[in-house]
Amino acid sequence: MARIKLDRIHKVYGDRYPAIHDLSFEIEDGEFMVFVGPSGCGKSTALRMIAGLETISAGELIIGDEVVNHVDPKDRDIAMVFQSYALYPHKTVRENIAFPLRMAGVAKDEIERRVNEAARILELTPHLDRKPGKLSGGQRQRVAMGRAIVRRPRAFLMDEPLSNLDAKLRVQMRAEIVKLQRALGVTTVYVTHDQVEAMTMGDRVTVLKAGRLQQIDTPQNLYQRPANVFVAAFIGSPSMNLYQATLAGSQLTLGSQSIALPEAVFAARPGLGAYSGRSLIVGIRPEDIDDAAVTDKRDYAEISAPVTLVEALGAETMVHLALDATWVDAEDPDIAAAETMSRTAVGRFSPRTQLRAGDRARLAITPHNLHFFDPDTRESIW
Amino acid sequence: MADRPSPDFGKTVINLAALVLVLSYALPYVYLVSTSLKPPADVQQIPPSFFPGRVSLENFATVIGTAGLPNAFVNSTVVAVLTTLLSLLIAVPAAYVSALYRRRITVIFLLFALVTRMVPAVSLGVPLFQVMKTLGLLDTTLGLVLAHTSTAVPLALLLMSAFFEGVPKELEEAARMDGCTRFGAFVHIILPLMPSGLAITALFSFIASWNEFLFALLLTSQNSKTAPIVIAEFNSVYGLAWGPMTAAAVLYSLPVILVTLLLQKQIVGGLTFGAVKG
Repeated sequence: MARIKLDRIHKVYGDRYPAIHDLSFEIEDGEFMVFVGPSGCGKSTALRMIAGLETISAGELIIGDEVVNHVDPKDRDIAMVFQSYALYPHKTVRENIAFPLRMAGVAKDEIERRVNEAARILELTPHLDRKPGKLSGGQRQRVAMGRAIVRRPRAFLMDEPLSNLDAKLRVQMRAEIVKLQRALGVTTVYVTHDQVEAMTMGDRVTVLKAGRLQQIDTPQNLYQRPANVFVAAFIGSPSMNLYQATLAGSQLTLGSQSIALPEAVFAARPGLGAYSGRSLIVGIRPEDIDDAAVTDKRDYAEISAPVTLVEALGAETMVHLALDATWVDAEDPDIAAAETMSRTAVGRFSPRTQLRAGDRARLAITPHNLHFFDPDTRESIW
Repeated sequence: MADRPSPDFGKTVINLAALVLVLSYALPYVYLVSTSLKPPADVQQIPPSFFPGRVSLENFATVIGTAGLPNAFVNSTVVAVLTTLLSLLIAVPAAYVSALYRRRITVIFLLFALVTRMVPAVSLGVPLFQVMKTLGLLDTTLGLVLAHTSTAVPLALLLMSAFFEGVPKELEEAARMDGCTRFGAFVHIILPLMPSGLAITALFSFIASWNEFLFALLLTSQNSKTAPIVIAEFNSVYGLAWGPMTAAAVLYSLPVILVTLLLQKQIVGGLTFGAVKG
């Protein structure tokens, strides 16, 4: 087991745009770290640099106490699970799992014992003599895990290992991976573009965008205290609603409507007072808007907006609202153009709501849960 | 209801067309075999008959007794086997690197391999003769193996790079993470996935050398003459020995046909190359 330290890591492909820019952070011994971000954010590149499959253009990568920039992948003592699993199709499950041990020159008896143990943990024992082509997606994924854990490496690297599974199996394997990692206590770096995976699996989550570190924090802190507009919108589903607003004293004006911010909001964010008389970006999570007619929320402020669409999901109802404030783009390249074009706010309403498309909704907004961002730097105001 | 041609009619037409195509390839060979089985007197009869009036193995007996021919068969075998091994040894790793580490330079490399296939062999004959003469390799097995390898390598390179393109790069990366060097990953993981590709490439390299005539004619004279040269010599200024010549040609064709039949499974498997994803 080992800590992994990235110190001012850069990655440039040829003379093109840098894939990774000045990445510095430390992954603790035994920690489950998730790299998350939209397509092209550099998360897989960062992982592959830790693996040794990509060269490092500048900076230092330290595993344990050793700088490993020029150490071959085979000598880094880390195991990797690939998105495509990369199982050896001509080898049986037993031979696949045994392969890293064979390469390490482990004695035959010991290989047999450790392969059987890994197979038992991953419930692969009945399939040991089958070829990967005869296995289901979930079983293949477990073989890939088996090949990683059998070596007892210093760290596990996982590159979107669940993305080829169906939704139900993904949820099941998500829990199994977390359980396994906790049991083995091995430092793990897990890459995903799925923020639900990031939030549910990681001890800490690193959010990347265009090769730059946006925030590194616990899932709860990412949700509650996002560093900037991008993280605020990226974490949470549906995304945070972002609008331009102006602040005058304690009055927050959102389009044609105003709400009064209580003193507690200014107490929690001392920097907010300086924005009086200026514009800022306000963020409202869908779960912090409700139908004022049926809400259980207390201490809410009320505004109104026309309803454009109602999606009843059973346990909750998603209500799309045409607020007349100026909408702010979170600059997430993965959000479909059509979605950004619609520019409606989304509220996660109580299923008791009777609202229909075309109604004008009275909205209950919790001011304490509003987020505020500087319109120029797009950083959070605290 | 109007009469419409049944689906069976369409199938029959396709089968007939296929039969005509196969016969157009097979007829010359069938005529060669048929001639080899005619008694010497019937071989040059006018008008010629397609099938022998009487089956005779006399031509084969003559051929086996011909001085130099058994030796030429041995030479052909040695040259073809060594050419195949040397071509695979050079082309397989080169094709792997060209396919998996595609850069501008590897694309140019493959393009040059293709260009060399377009140069007529006869235009290479004189320079090759000069090179072999300088190296003292005229009329040697090694000289002919090198000449044949120079033409077999580009073919093997192009064939193998097409096979390697079907291999996901993650397999090599996974092997490197599992403790292999790049070369170790190639040997332990990638090559075992390529039996069809290797079989087809080996067969094509073997056949190219086995059938080669021009370089053998230019570069050999006595010691390392291959069978095609000796067979051609049946048709000499001293007379036209059509019967023994066809018998020798039939004997010479048998190994290639046998090897092709033996590797049939791999060759057909090779037609679906690319399907190696686990």
